[in-house]
Amino acid sequence: MSHANSTIKRRPRAAHFGGENAAAFALLALLVVAPFVAGDYIAYILPQYMLYGLLAVSLVMLWGVVGIVSFGQAAFFAIGAYAMGLCMGQSDLGFNSGYAGLASGALAGGLLAGVTGWFLFSAGVKATYFVLITLALSIITEQVAVSQSQLTGGFNGMFVNRMALSPFEGGAIAGDIALYFFVLGVVAVVYALLRWLMASSFGTVLAGVRENEDRLTALGYRIDQYKTLAFALSGAIAGLAGALYATTASFVSPSLAGVLFSTQVVVWVAIGGRSSLLGGLVGAMVVATASNYLSATMPQYWQLILGVAFMLVIIFFKDGFAGMFARLGQRLRPREVS
Amino acid sequence: MSALLQTQGLGKTFRGLAANADIDFAIEPRSIHCVIGPNGAGKTTFLSMISGHLAPSSGRIFYNNADITRLATVARARSGIARKFQTPSVFHGLTTRTNIELAALRGSGSRGERRARIDEVLETIGLSAQAQRLAAHLSHGQRQWLEIGMLLAMQAKVLLLDEPAAGMTAGETAATGALLQKLVAERGLAIIVIEHNMDFIRDLDAEITVLHLGRVIANGRFDEIAADPRVADVYLGQQA
Amino acid sequence: MLNSLLSIAVDLTLITLVLALAAFGLAIVYGLVGVINMGHGALLTLGAYLTWQATAWQIPFPLAVLFAACGVCVIGLIFEHLVIRHFYERPFDTLLLTWAFFMIVTEVIKIVFGTDLRTVSNPLPGAIDLGGVRVPVYRATVALIAVGVIGATAWLFYRTSLGIRIRGLIQNREVAGLLGLNISLTYKIVFGIGAFMAGLAGGLISPMLSIDPYIGNVYLVRSFFVVLVGGMGQLLSGTLIGSFFTGGSETLFALFSSQAVAQTAVFALAILILRFRPNGILKNK
Repeated sequence: MSHANSTIKRRPRAAHFGGENAAAFALLALLVVAPFVAGDYIAYILPQYMLYGLLAVSLVMLWGVVGIVSFGQAAFFAIGAYAMGLCMGQSDLGFNSGYAGLASGALAGGLLAGVTGWFLFSAGVKATYFVLITLALSIITEQVAVSQSQLTGGFNGMFVNRMALSPFEGGAIAGDIALYFFVLGVVAVVYALLRWLMASSFGTVLAGVRENEDRLTALGYRIDQYKTLAFALSGAIAGLAGALYATTASFVSPSLAGVLFSTQVVVWVAIGGRSSLLGGLVGAMVVATASNYLSATMPQYWQLILGVAFMLVIIFFKDGFAGMFARLGQRLRPREVS
Repeated sequence: MSALLQTQGLGKTFRGLAANADIDFAIEPRSIHCVIGPNGAGKTTFLSMISGHLAPSSGRIFYNNADITRLATVARARSGIARKFQTPSVFHGLTTRTNIELAALRGSGSRGERRARIDEVLETIGLSAQAQRLAAHLSHGQRQWLEIGMLLAMQAKVLLLDEPAAGMTAGETAATGALLQKLVAERGLAIIVIEHNMDFIRDLDAEITVLHLGRVIANGRFDEIAADPRVADVYLGQQA
Repeated sequence: MLNSLLSIAVDLTLITLVLALAAFGLAIVYGLVGVINMGHGALLTLGAYLTWQATAWQIPFPLAVLFAACGVCVIGLIFEHLVIRHFYERPFDTLLLTWAFFMIVTEVIKIVFGTDLRTVSNPLPGAIDLGGVRVPVYRATVALIAVGVIGATAWLFYRTSLGIRIRGLIQNREVAGLLGLNISLTYKIVFGIGAFMAGLAGGLISPMLSIDPYIGNVYLVRSFFVVLVGGMGQLLSGTLIGSFFTGGSETLFALFSSQAVAQTAVFALAILILRFRPNGILKNK
């Protein structure tokens, strides 16, 4: 009734920033030459960070586009990883168990997210409650992974073989470099597909969910269905990333689903930029790389610095580094008609 | 001939208080029908029951001769009943064109037809030049038009407009009135308008229903209503 | 048979009350100012460590707990003053900010106290015999304190003029502002009381377990379920019923299966309740 609430929600940001294409190609070029320039260790470790990046992307499409925050992405990642581990443990599937692992990882993540999402969104559960429930989902997954040790190896975790990259039995594509480019390819393709999807009508409706749910309902959209679909897709991407991670890192443990790792994903995305798929991807890779080095040199303070950085980003830089670069770019470029 | 949209004995009680009681109302295609009344008369409650945002306590609603009393908001929107809210409800973070596009996706037709419809709607509501601006950067009046444009783009048959001229300059108000008349004449829409602005109502030259304390106290054209002593009482009583 | 039933009943009562104590701070802050304090668990942990530190300085246990509660209250107030008070209008951001607060407090605890397990010796060892059931004296005392603290706080909010003012303020900010009541101070008081309760609970729980920097995590999630199941805004009955449900069902499930399975089952059950009774089991919408 009151006219006082006509204050505009200050969120004039689209789902993408100008210049993201150029930045994405630059990153791709960098990643293509990196293993040849930077050496074996990079070729070994970088794929894991790229998959963290893919995990972050799965959150960006929720948080940045739809406006839903999930603290449960790690659960889908872990479930995908265990799915890969279980598939690789079967010696005679009759076809390439690595690809079966990737498919079942994505399927498991997507299914769990879809069922959870449908269950909650159809009841119109509040955004804050959604965070709490997805957090609980991570904790449950971790506990199940610990307690079902005959399947998962419990606390000790589970060793996973490297997958055979050739789709047919007895292929000869192998080694760190091959796996590196396989991971890079998967991440790049998923990223590109997601960019395309978010620019499509479907993505536009998702952005509408973020901006104004009431208006969208009044236009005749079933927003619970859109949210469920988005969450299922996000879970599938996280599951795929987890499955590929398992075979890349050769090891899965319950902590992949834990509270700490769940939080990490949110922190990467907040710092990298929640409104940009590329921002999340780069944020995850940079922060994870920095974590790796700094937790070795200053283990005590690194997590603290990350916590403080997270808080500062939430207070001062809603769009993280991607937002800062985008604003910088706009200032340098001659103003377009806007 | 039967009305496009009709209510019979429609009522709504909040905790024992009747916000709407026994409202019989009907609107034909190709017409405007204004609902006026002092603050608290139950105008928005009435509109909310038609749009499905509130469930009636009594009475029935018919649309195209079908009973839609229990139909969900989404289903009503899909069948062509579209609502503009009291405070403009648009997608602030998206461009004007994308706002219209989201509505156009609900309508029928191929991709090309949709694009043509978006352009045509932008033209109709006078926001073609603003197509690439964020809705957050539009003026209040422009946002009102944008919301009406969305209802057009989704190819609604009945528009429910809650204070479409609120916060507009005199010029914008007149333009809005002309726009509504044009929509009725050219597209055959049925438009229900809630308004406080009496100049706007007079210029619309339409059928008027006056609500007071949730009940219909008068029906008629502007001059009849203006001459009705009960209506004068209600409005004067408010001012005293 | 009767004996084991009695034993289960005593167990349930103790678990319910201890959990209610742990969740109460969260319930106050969420119910009254609408902030989901994700830092609640870390404040609980901090309360336990401060109690350990104070007892290590030879301060008697009751004073040590009080010291811990006050210390945690001060930390909470500093955070409220620096950050949270600017974000009351944006509940979702407070969720993320209190989560960052949780990370920071946890890390500071690790830096200051290390990650080794700490233990606070039980100030009231021994057990009393209750109709053939042995009840640990300390747990029973904590349960009684929980009843006292929750009762006293409820009395403060529902029976004193300060409490009535606070609730009035929170229900209608505009009117309260017009009447010249100090809104930001009220919010601060509520947040401070919530932090104090977290510290108190952490201190009182500390002799019951080995303290590590993550003990609060378990209580954080359980506390959420207490509040969600009990329903927000129902400080007294909601917290008790939520605790009874959460703690009780976990105990019952644990009788038949492992602890981990029991917790999983309770989480799943809480999610079900949230889905069908989003405002808690007391209120039907």
